[in-house]
Amino acid sequence: MLNTPTQNSRPDQTLSRNMTLVAHHELGGYGGMGEGIGMQKTADGRRILWLAHESGPKNFTVVDVTDPKNPKMILQTDLQSSQLRSNSLDVCGNLMVVAYQSKVLGDKDVGFDIFDITIPEQPKLLSHFDCSGPYSRGVHAVWFVDGKYVHMSSGAGDFQPKNPKDDQFYRIIDVSDPTKPVEAGRWWYPGTRVGDSEPEPKRLPGIFDTGFRAHNTNVFPSKPDRAYVGYIDGGAFVLDISDKSNIKVVSKWNHSPPLNGFIHTVLPLFDRGLWVVSDECVKDNGADWPKLIWMIDARDESNPVPIGTFPMPSFEVFGKRGGRFGAHNLHENYPSPLSFKSDTIIIGTFFNGGVRVFDISNPYRVEEVAYYVPGAPKLCPAGAIQLNEVFVDDRNLVYTTDRFGGGLYILEMNI
Amino acid sequence: MTFQRDLLASKIPVTIITGFLGAGKTTLVSKLIKHPDMNRVAVVINELGEIGIDNDLVSMSSENISLLSNGCICCSVRTDMQETMRELFAKRMVGEIPEFDRIIIETTGLADPAPILQTLLSDALFEAQFRLDGLVTLVDGFNGLMQIEQQMETCKQIAVADLILITKSDLLDNSGKEALELAIRSLNPQAPMLFVINGEIEPKRLMNLGLASSRSAEKTLGFLGSLLKSNNESTDSYLGDFAKRHNQGIKTVSLRFQDPFSWEAASAALELLTNLRGSDMLRVKGIMNIDGKPVVIQGVQHIFHPPVTLDEWPTDDHDTRIVFITKNIEAELIKSLFNAVGAITQNSESIKESN
Repeated sequence: MLNTPTQNSRPDQTLSRNMTLVAHHELGGYGGMGEGIGMQKTADGRRILWLAHESGPKNFTVVDVTDPKNPKMILQTDLQSSQLRSNSLDVCGNLMVVAYQSKVLGDKDVGFDIFDITIPEQPKLLSHFDCSGPYSRGVHAVWFVDGKYVHMSSGAGDFQPKNPKDDQFYRIIDVSDPTKPVEAGRWWYPGTRVGDSEPEPKRLPGIFDTGFRAHNTNVFPSKPDRAYVGYIDGGAFVLDISDKSNIKVVSKWNHSPPLNGFIHTVLPLFDRGLWVVSDECVKDNGADWPKLIWMIDARDESNPVPIGTFPMPSFEVFGKRGGRFGAHNLHENYPSPLSFKSDTIIIGTFFNGGVRVFDISNPYRVEEVAYYVPGAPKLCPAGAIQLNEVFVDDRNLVYTTDRFGGGLYILEMNI
Repeated sequence: MTFQRDLLASKIPVTIITGFLGAGKTTLVSKLIKHPDMNRVAVVINELGEIGIDNDLVSMSSENISLLSNGCICCSVRTDMQETMRELFAKRMVGEIPEFDRIIIETTGLADPAPILQTLLSDALFEAQFRLDGLVTLVDGFNGLMQIEQQMETCKQIAVADLILITKSDLLDNSGKEALELAIRSLNPQAPMLFVINGEIEPKRLMNLGLASSRSAEKTLGFLGSLLKSNNESTDSYLGDFAKRHNQGIKTVSLRFQDPFSWEAASAALELLTNLRGSDMLRVKGIMNIDGKPVVIQGVQHIFHPPVTLDEWPTDDHDTRIVFITKNIEAELIKSLFNAVGAITQNSESIKESN
């Protein structure tokens, strides 16, 4: 998998424009990070970053970033089994939700945990919500921003998909009593569950068949009756969740086919009537190119219209720079007061393309205004950086993590 | 929810090095490009052949762009400056050459910096990507005094400078140094002066001469120099007869206005001045109170940088303060022009309101 550097693709080189490195932390040698970064402010004023791991053996890592130039790792926990991964977490106040997914179907440990993190050095387990079942891998991604509901991509004990790739669907869990989580609603792509009267959706060909299942399931407190769901090969869905027991489709947009699937995030910009939709690149060396970020005019939410894609760095330079190259996670304007919020500046990770910042003031002419591509981390298996997740705080500091070994990079935007 | 971008901070700063023939530009640039602190700096050079880089060369990306072992990108001008700058920018974007955080341009001996600035500011691509950080003028320590007396070009280059480097200063005795300093001061009372021997200079001395951010901070107005702090109108009284003898009619005028201007009045006054006397307006820098907001302006001759609105006033002083370095234009003239244009536009506004 190691790539031979050419003049145009030097994975050892750090590339940057309008972004500077404030600090880098290898997280004790376990720097392969997943898709969850949450920030907490403790009663004594410390800023604590909670980081999910891409895969075991670690569960989550806790870093004090009060002084961003001098991040301190204060805790790193272990998973209870080698089959598990906890790729996603979210923090709301002093509560944290951690997702558990297994490599094998039927694993009893899958679901999510809720922790009281008032004392970040000593997270206290409040409850576990079980999502195990004969056809369930468990929870892939969680969204928890209001302290009341966990929105997630998950399998369930009573859910048998027609195709095993379609096991994770959209579920809403009421955690208003964090010691007793209960399911409040669910929705799946019609035709994917055994017993559905609708036919199974037509799958994407060959290597591009990545499943009709949920990925990010975002619900913003300012618009609590809408869920913005990236449903991977199924497309981008907006759901009416005003009645959680009877969820209805408001609209759907999909670019695949002809493109290669995997819609990951649907980020609404309410005041502007826009959605920013990101794909996820899941193949190395450009095999599933192009994986893009899309600008959707959604002033009429029932009729989303794509009006453009974000400019991408040169495929010639990054396509074979090592590992994956393409869109992935976006900073999602978390409603937390500790989060950066903007409807004109969008920040996303692009694996070997690093972290990139876009000005979307003119949605028809999105402009890239900053980027940072760390040089390949030591001993990285992809041969290049693979920036996976990004969170931006209210100090405009960018926290981004590598998928394999690079750990945490803290960056400043000069924009 | 709208994040206000600092459009200035994301632009690549450009430093222009100028100086009369023989002032030592080639010596300075050939030392500069090999300095360890020149990593991620692109230097645009007129004649690459005159500068020995063979021992430091890492790669050539094209016949006119080379990467040196310290990370400095050396670029010679092929046909014209505009094409060269476009090529640098395009190659940077596609990763054909390493990114650079700064550009330093060496001008040809006789070149006036204004046309280079015009190239930068009149091209839509450059205007969005680059900002002028500063004009650096080299003055020949040995021949400088004579050139100031005889060459208008030298005087203009000194007058527009943000930083003045006096080269060959080892050839000057103390009285020679003093006389040259006085002559330079009479043309440009505010630019810092440095003595340079054999082209040796720390690159950081050439950097951060201009406004780097539209977010207000303590040092925001530092680049305007000290003249704005006090209310002095000219340094003639201090320099006395010496100034009159040497300055070829070049003088520094610093003006202060208490009433805010409207955009209309400010741009009308500056346009009128540049249209009528552009070639005699050597340098303009200042902060204007436009409808209550702090707006930084700067220009070289008839070329004006796009005005920068700061996010807030750097201090409690909300007066408009502008420094003009002019040739044969009296302070009173500029002042009355601004007052008149201000008054006329105020009248038109009040008429609009009464209608």
